[in-house]
Amino acid sequence: MLARSGLRTARAFGSARTSATRNATRNASTQSEGAASWKNTATLSASTALAIGSCTFYYFQFGRSVHAMTPAEEGLHATAYPWEHEKFFKTFDHAALRRGFQVYREVCASCHSLQRIPWRALVGTMMTVDEAKALAEENEYDTEPNDEGEIEKRPGKLSDYIPSPYKNDEAGRAANNGALPPDLSLITKARHGGCNYIFSLLTGYPEEPPAGAVVQSGLNFNPYFPGTGIAMARVLYDGLVEYEDGTPATTSQMAKDVVEFLNWSAEPEMDERKRMGWKVMAIGSVLFAMSVWVKRYKWSTIKTRHLQYNPPVAPGKMNPRQSRR
Amino acid sequence: MSVPTRLSTAISRQAARQTLPAVRAAPLGVQQQKRTRADASTSHAEFNSPFTRGTSGKKDTTVIPSFKKYRSGSETNNKVFQYFMVGAFGGLSALGAKNTVQDFLVNMSASADVLAQAKVEVDLASIPEGKNVIIKWRGKPVFIRHRTADEIKEADETKWESLRDPQADSERVKKPEWLIMLGVCTHLGCVPIGEAGDFGGWFCPCHGSHYDISGRIRKGPAPLNLEVPEYDFPEDTSLVIG
Amino acid sequence: MSGVLGGIYNTVIRSNGVFLSAIFVGAFATNLAFDTGSNALWDSINRGRQWKDIKHRYMESEDEE
Repeated sequence: MLARSGLRTARAFGSARTSATRNATRNASTQSEGAASWKNTATLSASTALAIGSCTFYYFQFGRSVHAMTPAEEGLHATAYPWEHEKFFKTFDHAALRRGFQVYREVCASCHSLQRIPWRALVGTMMTVDEAKALAEENEYDTEPNDEGEIEKRPGKLSDYIPSPYKNDEAGRAANNGALPPDLSLITKARHGGCNYIFSLLTGYPEEPPAGAVVQSGLNFNPYFPGTGIAMARVLYDGLVEYEDGTPATTSQMAKDVVEFLNWSAEPEMDERKRMGWKVMAIGSVLFAMSVWVKRYKWSTIKTRHLQYNPPVAPGKMNPRQSRR
Repeated sequence: MSVPTRLSTAISRQAARQTLPAVRAAPLGVQQQKRTRADASTSHAEFNSPFTRGTSGKKDTTVIPSFKKYRSGSETNNKVFQYFMVGAFGGLSALGAKNTVQDFLVNMSASADVLAQAKVEVDLASIPEGKNVIIKWRGKPVFIRHRTADEIKEADETKWESLRDPQADSERVKKPEWLIMLGVCTHLGCVPIGEAGDFGGWFCPCHGSHYDISGRIRKGPAPLNLEVPEYDFPEDTSLVIG
Repeated sequence: MSGVLGGIYNTVIRSNGVFLSAIFVGAFATNLAFDTGSNALWDSINRGRQWKDIKHRYMESEDEE
């Protein structure tokens, strides 16, 4: 009874107090309302402060995420563009893929490899069999060892993978001042920001680095690149390639096409995945709704059942319950 | 159980003065009933209690109201609807299960890069008459022999019925000029040497099996003729193996 | 109404075997219909974007060469 009244007083003091102090008040009031009260309060306040303080210390020491670079050095955050092919119900625009591959082949391929894409993957997505075959045959590949153990050269086949511009990574480094041009097969998945980042990077080269920016020799300034110094120079200029379908080859058009192509090379299964996905969602939601209905139907008799137990009345004895009533 | 609840709600609905909780197919009959009564007693104005008979305003719980609104039209309707729902649920589940299993099985079959290498195309125009060509197909050598007319004649006229593995030459070739076989000796898997042996065909250097110009075993330990792979001539001058 | 439903009940549902086979036949039909319908819808949403929509351009130019 006393405790309850203490609680009431504590509540009356206001909601700003912590429950710890509220407890303290209650405890205090259960004892004589005198000397012990402030000691309890002090102890609890001190221990609360200690707990909060140690948590804070621990968070500041170990809990915060660690940044190796300052936000400026991380690079400018890429703008979010409304990519049509990233929508839930949209496939890649395959005409854009075809243009994008043309840009890759004529521009990017001189430095960047695309090792994970075989020629056959182009068939049925952006090229006819004959076009892809003709492209594959322009390249030479090693044969398997012949009778004498010699390795010869043969023209490429559809089952071959798109060749790299360099024999190996070391050759790539040597040709580019030590900076290896990354393989582009999975680049949209491998870079934070994906399509947006690559588009921003390709189109984000300023005419001149801004005043005060330090650009090392051999590097180029790009605000979107982490560290802002990128070995790749601006490559896309208006009219650099000539599209066969007559699309004006502006810088941003080329960048958009090649980004979509690179997104395809990272996720060639996207079209099929989306199509399958929404079918599964459609069937699945209908199935879920029906399962709810069937469950309610099957359980309705059980849920609406009333079990009643009337204990037999022993002869000569009154039911205690009845007697109580 | 929930009869009184339903009852009261139904009637109060009829009275078009609805402040009562809607009926749920809930098992909380007793509680709801209590609530209903409480509502009925506390609400003001002209509330006609569902338990009131006539104009007296006196509660009379013996009145049994009409449940017609909640009674189904016909038993058949209900049964057909219920069976339809359960059946459609089962059918859709079967559909989903079938597609899941199918997708997993498809996933386990040969991948696209394996399929792409399963076929080899050979240009026949570059093989002159009377020449052997060996190509690699699925890791095994394949002999392609452009046979001369004499060789075709010889292969045809051999009395094949008495051979160890009797097979006519016509069974082993699609076009008589082109003999295509796996270059693996049927004895222990060596690669036979072309244009050698006692029968003008192939000779296995490992254990001395002799094959004739149709690739049939004639002498030596090998039990069977050289195997013929699946192949096709999509055009006159090209050959697809596999 | 009840007559039709009663007929359905007596022919399809009453015998378990017939009901089960009706379910599976129905599932098969639904599969076909749903696939056809959803693919058509998908193609109409993505009209002009997929390879099969733009293929003819390049196939024709092949023939001319």
